[in-house]
Amino acid sequence: MNHDQKSGFGRREILKLAAVAGATFAGTGVFAGQSAAADDDSLSLKGKRIAISATGTDHYFDLQAYNAQIAEVKRLGGEPIAVDAGRNDGKLVAQLQTLIAQKPDAIVQILGTLSVIDPWLKKARDAGIPVLTVDVGSTNSINNTTSDNWGIGKDLALQLVSDIGGEGNIVVFNGFYGVTPCAIRYDQLVNVVKYFPKVKIIQPELRDVIPNTVQDAFTQITAILNKYPEKGSIKAIWSAWDIPQLGATQALAAAGRTEIRTYGVDGSPEVLQLVADPNSPAGADAAQQPAEIGRTAIRNVAKLLAGQTLPRETYVPALLANKTNVAEVTKKLGIG
Amino acid sequence: MSVDIQFAPAADLATKETPIRSAGNVAATALRFGSLIAFAVILAVFSLTAPYFLSIGNIGNVLGQSAISGVLAIGLTVVLIAGGANVVTGGIDLSLAANMGLSAAVYASLLQLGYGDPVVIVATLLVGLAIGAVNAAAVVLAGIVPLLATLAVMNIVAGLELVLTQNTVLPASSDFLTALSASDGFGIPVLAYVLLGFAAVAAVIVQNTPLGLRLYAVGEFPDAARAAGLPLKRLLAGAFVASGLCGGIAGILSVSYLSGSTTGSGEMLLPVVITALLGSVFSRRLVPTITGTLLSALLVGFLVNGFQLLNLPSTLVSGIQGLLILIVVSATTLLRKREI
Repeated sequence: MNHDQKSGFGRREILKLAAVAGATFAGTGVFAGQSAAADDDSLSLKGKRIAISATGTDHYFDLQAYNAQIAEVKRLGGEPIAVDAGRNDGKLVAQLQTLIAQKPDAIVQILGTLSVIDPWLKKARDAGIPVLTVDVGSTNSINNTTSDNWGIGKDLALQLVSDIGGEGNIVVFNGFYGVTPCAIRYDQLVNVVKYFPKVKIIQPELRDVIPNTVQDAFTQITAILNKYPEKGSIKAIWSAWDIPQLGATQALAAAGRTEIRTYGVDGSPEVLQLVADPNSPAGADAAQQPAEIGRTAIRNVAKLLAGQTLPRETYVPALLANKTNVAEVTKKLGIG
Repeated sequence: MSVDIQFAPAADLATKETPIRSAGNVAATALRFGSLIAFAVILAVFSLTAPYFLSIGNIGNVLGQSAISGVLAIGLTVVLIAGGANVVTGGIDLSLAANMGLSAAVYASLLQLGYGDPVVIVATLLVGLAIGAVNAAAVVLAGIVPLLATLAVMNIVAGLELVLTQNTVLPASSDFLTALSASDGFGIPVLAYVLLGFAAVAAVIVQNTPLGLRLYAVGEFPDAARAAGLPLKRLLAGAFVASGLCGGIAGILSVSYLSGSTTGSGEMLLPVVITALLGSVFSRRLVPTITGTLLSALLVGFLVNGFQLLNLPSTLVSGIQGLLILIVVSATTLLRKREI
């Protein structure tokens, strides 16, 4: 990515660049996808038991990554031990404990609150089991396969700032700062907004919740619209993932406040549809490639077990879908 | 359930001269030992089919994993005993899981504010006791049905937890928590010993002291207990306070297990209620007992663990778990009816 180049540009250039960021993302995505697929012919997990521990599979991202991992382990001849904690931290810890007792050849952890899972990832590592992660930046993980969340956060923030003309109030959902990718995206938003003094994040920030995220976001946004009844008093709503964005977008449509734009991350099909709808307030959604992330993580396991050294992080490109390029992005993701 | 129990001694007398006596005895024996046999069969099947199931480390893991729900279910059992086991009008404490959540949040918050473990432990236990006292007051002084009283308190407590934590995870670490979440030389978690020790103490108090006998009397035969001059209200209130204390203890265990306070404690409620109610099938008279509840908590723990070791898709687990519970409960219910 070209972060360094952009940092030297002036404000107008940044705004222009934001508009083409989606296209840049998309191009890189296709290229990287092809190169990753090309080098896996020699990889094998024959006779290996690979544990796949998911925090939950109720969200599009989790389910895609989880299923792709199971399929990839099988494709490479290994035996997957897949467990899904249903977004229950107690269950997640219990599953990790049992996995450690099972002594698999590797454990791949998908998401999870770092403070909760990290002690158990350390115990796995201490027990001699290699730990790899998806979207969790743990010091106990050999490799973390993830989207470039710095890039996602920056591009989404630039798109937002560009769409609102560099000024106005924005509402932010910041309920999961303990989840590393959410923290990075949020920090990038703050970094970008810092250089636009007329953009204000309304305080207090909102907290998105699990479960009932959509209904809760709907209620919270309806309440805040009542607090800011004048058109133009809020310009945009930002969230670190796109399920609160879904609730927020529905609340805006219900309240007739479609002048406000919403922004999120993940590329859930229902949100991409809203972005594609010209009448919908959904402004942009940075679409990750969860299935590709899942497959890449498993290929990394195979490489590690074959004796290769892995990089600390493997980035799978994301595709920023905005009002102008959404059709192209959904086509590339194969969910159009 | 309490009605059935009242009839039970009479049924024993009646069977003496009836031709179905032997059948009744077989049913009674099956009833007494059926659940234990079922438990043993489940353990045996897992031991034979699931790799690693029979290892000391794994059994210790299951004990440790059952510690939080076990302590909560034991608290609920005390309320079930003292309040009577009728699901609608009898004793129930729906605020237990929320109590654990708030206690854990208080523990993590105070630790973050820089207080030491001793102060924080005392404060957390006081929070649990206070919630128990509110339940006791609502049930005993205001005369509200426990189901409604504790439902209301559950909502208040869950609301307080949200206010305190803003629905976020509060990480916590201290020497005490590290020691509590560690394992011994055999790979058995400290939490496993905590569960067994706690259950042993509770079992001695409830099953082997005059106080425990009075609790049963108050729950099963309130009129007789009143006639015998037992302080009904005080005993019932005491049961709710004890249950509150269990919520506080579970809160501390939960902070050590999850390295802090996390959201979603309310999800523990139904599993805990099921565990406590299911515990009755492990007692000879089909009444709530501490050892029965412990066995029930372990049965659920071993089921989940065995399924994972057998590499069954986790999507099937909760369905199979529910099915097994339904089979065990309906078998014992049918047997019990036949006995009477």
